[in-house]
Amino acid sequence: MSAFSDVFDKREMLATLVARNLKIRYQGSALGFAWTLLNPLFMMLIYWIFIKFMKFPMSIPGLLTGILAWQFLTMCCNDSISAVAGHPNLVKKIYFPRIILPLSTVLANLVNYLLSLLVLFGFALLAGKLAWGPGLALLPLVVAIELVFCLGLALLVSCSSVYFRDTEHIVGVLLMAWFFMSPVIYSLDFITANSRIPPWAVRLYVVNPMAGLITLYRAIIVGGPYPGVIALVAAVVVPVVVLAAGVSIFRKYEPDFADEL
Amino acid sequence: MKSIEVNGVGKKFTLKHAGRNTLKASAMSILRWRKGREEFWALKDISFTAESGSTIGIIGANGAGKSTLLGILARTMRPTEGSVAVRGRVSSLLELGAGFHPDLTGAENIRLNGSILGLTRREIREKFDQIVRFAELEQFIDIPVKHYSSGMYVRLGFAVAVEVNPDILLIDEVMAVGDETFKKKCLEKIAQFKTEGKTMLIVSHDLDTITEVSDRVLLLDQGRVVRVGEPGQVVDQYKSLGFQKAGAVVIREWGTKEAVVSAVRFTDGKGGAVERIASGGPLVVEIDYRAGKRIEDPVFGFGITKSDGTLCCGSNTIIDAFPVDAIEGEGTLRLSFGMLPLLQGKYYFSFSLHTRDHRTSYHRMDNWFSLWVDCPRKAEGVANIASRWERK
Repeated sequence: MSAFSDVFDKREMLATLVARNLKIRYQGSALGFAWTLLNPLFMMLIYWIFIKFMKFPMSIPGLLTGILAWQFLTMCCNDSISAVAGHPNLVKKIYFPRIILPLSTVLANLVNYLLSLLVLFGFALLAGKLAWGPGLALLPLVVAIELVFCLGLALLVSCSSVYFRDTEHIVGVLLMAWFFMSPVIYSLDFITANSRIPPWAVRLYVVNPMAGLITLYRAIIVGGPYPGVIALVAAVVVPVVVLAAGVSIFRKYEPDFADEL
Repeated sequence: MKSIEVNGVGKKFTLKHAGRNTLKASAMSILRWRKGREEFWALKDISFTAESGSTIGIIGANGAGKSTLLGILARTMRPTEGSVAVRGRVSSLLELGAGFHPDLTGAENIRLNGSILGLTRREIREKFDQIVRFAELEQFIDIPVKHYSSGMYVRLGFAVAVEVNPDILLIDEVMAVGDETFKKKCLEKIAQFKTEGKTMLIVSHDLDTITEVSDRVLLLDQGRVVRVGEPGQVVDQYKSLGFQKAGAVVIREWGTKEAVVSAVRFTDGKGGAVERIASGGPLVVEIDYRAGKRIEDPVFGFGITKSDGTLCCGSNTIIDAFPVDAIEGEGTLRLSFGMLPLLQGKYYFSFSLHTRDHRTSYHRMDNWFSLWVDCPRKAEGVANIASRWERK
């Protein structure tokens, strides 16, 4: 609990760091912060053209939902590599709860994600695919669960990269494998309704919380099928466990960060 | 009341070998880890207290553990053993501008660094103009700090850090950077903090400043407290300790040896060899060289260093506009000093033979030759600069 009160005491610093992270990402570019909206917009255009030609078995808004949710996670993992290890001066010279560093990168990415969700909503609306169901009320909850998951991963990654510089490469490889192991560019049905995949492998597949989370996003935004029970439970339990592990491991090693950098 | 109590503090570091950034080096270091990594104590058995409102100077050679000690007090490092009690809000001027981001403007960095150091946004808004004025950066506050000079960078860092209004201030080598005007400003601020009853710990190599501002001085050597006491006495002890060590100028010879300085003779100009000369007297040095092959455009250089490591004079045939077009085989150069206005002591001479662009050193003899200078006037320093006292 003291982790939270520490962070609460430093909320102004946290807010400043989040703003800084957002600012630096687009620093020096002529369009600046507009890129936060332009990036997903262009991405949607590119996918739209691509899918028109490739006859891809998924609607564009459904595909984009998966890609945006996935991007939020990868951006958090990638940015957290340098969240602590990239600021040796700060960590060595000034005392503050170190948890603020990965937290601020995750929150900055959350802002990005929410803005790109807005663009997605506009796009789905224009494409006539937006699902106007009561499920929309669930969206904040699903985002919150993914946020918990991303923060847990960010804590583990940022802590690990202080000790092992290889973390960067390992994270890259794992994310690549994970991308194909999650229903990002295909739907969950593709796995669960596939008779060639044995049931035990399907159960293993849905333990991956991204399977449940991305499917939930799709169900809520474009009105796809909801995930099964195992996928739902995994999508809630695994993020919470990862965050708990992330917080306790990060706090255990935090006092020695200055020695390692 | 005691602001700081340090009890039996020790800090152990595990030495890591360079090149952790690759997978191979990492695998190697894991292997080494199993074998047991090298350890060393940066600090050992450190105990002292600081009364609230007092100023303590910390001195010691490089690597004595000064910065580690401040790091522990600033809570950025945890001691391996012992305990530390610090009462009050601590602000550290350990590295000015530590939290600056090069791509952000000065103004944005004030807000960022201020909030990292613990100022609220309101406090930052209120003190913003004051910070800019103190840093003398009114015209540059809206440009990214990556375009700042190092002096501007440090001024801004200092201006933000002093606004934190701490109870305890840790200052590490702040005065070493920046110009004289800025140093004066720092000292004024330190004096102001002193009158406001703040506790300060100051690390500096500037012994005069330390003596002036400290109530007590703590002398560290190789991670241990040698002495804590009255500033003048401790600084004197450090000086006597320091000179023995710094007295060892590096004597070495190196180079590709494609051409060498084969012999050097010190003479009085009339042909007689000398080992000691009188201050202000003439000195002629004859430098024999030998080149195994023809070398175009070589440069001969010399340096005179006092035994405490001070370079008194260094020059070469380019600086002195005496171009040597080429050398081949054997030959001799004459280097004449009309007069050497040096104070008494032992001086080391270095000679070098290198390419014009300094990329290749054919032969260097650093501090290889020594010469004693006698001087009737027992003044301090290096140069015997004539002076006269009189009453007006």
